[in-house]
Amino acid sequence: MPTVQLFATCLGDLVFPDAVRDAESLLVGAGFDVEFPPEQVCCGQPAFNSGHRGAARRVAWTFLRSFSRSAPIVTPSGSCATMAAHFLPGLVDCEPFDVWELSAFLDAQGVEPPRTNEGRRVAYHDSCHMLRELRIADAPRRLLERSGAEVVDLPRPDLCCGFGGTFSVRQPEVSVAMADDKLGGAVGVAAEALVTADPGCLMHLRGRASQLGETLPVVHLATALAMGIGGS
Amino acid sequence: MTELAQPAGRFREIARLKLTDAHTQGALDSSTARLYGNRTAAWQALPEVQELRQRAHDARMRVIDDLDTHIRRFTEALEARGGHVHFARTAEDAAAYVTEVSVRAGAKLAAKSKSMLSEEIRLNDSLEAAGIRPVETDLGEYIIQLAGEHPAHILAPAVEFTAEDVSELLSAVDGEPVPADLDALAQAARRQLRQVFLDADVGITGANFGVSETGSICLVTNEGNGRLVTSLPRVHVALMGMERLVADLSDLSVLLRLLARSGTGQRLSVYTTLITGPRRAGEEDGPEEMHVVIVDNGRSNLLGTHYREMLACIRCGACLNVCPVYRKTGGAAYGPVYSGPMGAVLLPLLVGLDSAPSLPHASSLCGACSDACPVKIPLHELLLELRKDLVERRVAPLWERLAFTLWSLAWSSPLGYRLSTGLGRATQGLAGLAGPGRAWGRGRALPKLGRRYRDGR
Repeated sequence: MPTVQLFATCLGDLVFPDAVRDAESLLVGAGFDVEFPPEQVCCGQPAFNSGHRGAARRVAWTFLRSFSRSAPIVTPSGSCATMAAHFLPGLVDCEPFDVWELSAFLDAQGVEPPRTNEGRRVAYHDSCHMLRELRIADAPRRLLERSGAEVVDLPRPDLCCGFGGTFSVRQPEVSVAMADDKLGGAVGVAAEALVTADPGCLMHLRGRASQLGETLPVVHLATALAMGIGGS
Repeated sequence: MTELAQPAGRFREIARLKLTDAHTQGALDSSTARLYGNRTAAWQALPEVQELRQRAHDARMRVIDDLDTHIRRFTEALEARGGHVHFARTAEDAAAYVTEVSVRAGAKLAAKSKSMLSEEIRLNDSLEAAGIRPVETDLGEYIIQLAGEHPAHILAPAVEFTAEDVSELLSAVDGEPVPADLDALAQAARRQLRQVFLDADVGITGANFGVSETGSICLVTNEGNGRLVTSLPRVHVALMGMERLVADLSDLSVLLRLLARSGTGQRLSVYTTLITGPRRAGEEDGPEEMHVVIVDNGRSNLLGTHYREMLACIRCGACLNVCPVYRKTGGAAYGPVYSGPMGAVLLPLLVGLDSAPSLPHASSLCGACSDACPVKIPLHELLLELRKDLVERRVAPLWERLAFTLWSLAWSSPLGYRLSTGLGRATQGLAGLAGPGRAWGRGRALPKLGRRYRDGR
């Protein structure tokens, strides 16, 4: 069986363990042997994006020490995939790793997801790193469609949801206003759920929806595919 | 220079005010959406747009990497055609020169066409101090001058004003009500400004580009006021940033194909004017004197550094219109002159990071600006570099540097990670009380930390 290394990411490990389990089960279901390198911590992105290169480097080394180059690395986070694939090699001066965002990997492998969303109407939120750094926009939508869902367009899908790492706490008012536009857009197109492939966007949008008492579920893509949007 | 400074916290303070103002939010939403839609449609209608962007970038960088030569060539060419060129190292120098020229011309009234550089050097203050009345003749600039405000957008300065706001301002000038109807407003402004064009002793403009081969300046306008300002008064003074040169007319044409498309979605603006010197013998109109003031004011700090890409900016406004942060905050949060992503990059470079420490963080780093930039400035990457400089030059607060250092020490080993996140889980009830947790809690539920994924394996 082909092997993949699962990178849970810090947010996945700490805040969204269910989404990581769902990612694992999708990979296992597609016939992969999933390894979880136990020494993994974080890619260093929070410090990197705030300009703290020294701190970022210190944490990024844990990535170097825990992952091998013998099998693809798959992660349920567009943002951490961007960091690990694009920025980390320059930061710690190493050869690039073979890093994949989960949906891009599943799509490239021609994986047929379970029909968990038959007849459901979902909106997909592009995370900025996935859309503009990795240029992945079609794969998650295709997978959702193959799971039976109708994927509806959000108004202005190009607009950031306002998370932006430490931006979310440096400019909380602007950040929250941006989330309101995104959530309002999903409600406006009568989506039954708002799906995203990035734990950062997920934490931000779900946290805002919860504060507002909004009933719209905000669901990680891995969960939406493995369990269906109602199964989170 | 100090006028451009943005103390820490100012951005957030103004942004909060703007967010609670439904009127401004509506105006920002509709105007940025319209300009964004116009630009994307114009780009889609131009199959070679990506190739053009690369050519435009290359044309700009060729000049920036050999700027001394181009400034010399431009100066020689324009002086040969009877124009005067003054190189101003600082804002004060530039404003003093323009004021001096105006005083020497015996001016009482100066008609201005839109120039962000004149805002940057606070020219109006300098003219007024010398007893000269400056009148903005670009409709947007005229509106904000009447309102006593600063431009909220580099292309559309009055972007946050509605027709009702404008009607109120123009009615006050007329002393009788002007209906809040676009045609009526334009007619009223035209009537009010007509006499200014006729009476002005000096015409002051910016310059979208200078052509070093020919010594021409290029003005790109939509209202026709630029042509009146450069042809009716006896003296014409153009302000130009030192980086705004292009090598020749062929490079100019590449940039002109992108400028209006990226700004307003037009294929070309209504007026594209090339001016090469004052009126010559046998010509019937045009000014008797023409001056071009080439302004540095901090721009040369960028030369030879990786930030020099910012000098390629052609001030089209595309990055503002696409920016999800700008469309919420509007322009004032960034300061009185430049705003949006281009302002967030440029201002700290012009005035120093110490004087604008919040601006590199006034972005979610979504990267939409870089994709929208017609000259391919990697704006969000430059913001990331500026953040690095904030830390390395110790402008970032001590508590922040300490927090990231402690965090990175803890997370530099799996054991440290387990212990620190275990502690975080045990004390999560306190997270909302202070620091980032408290900021997060303004409007969002804090995530609950339970069993880690790794604990379940």
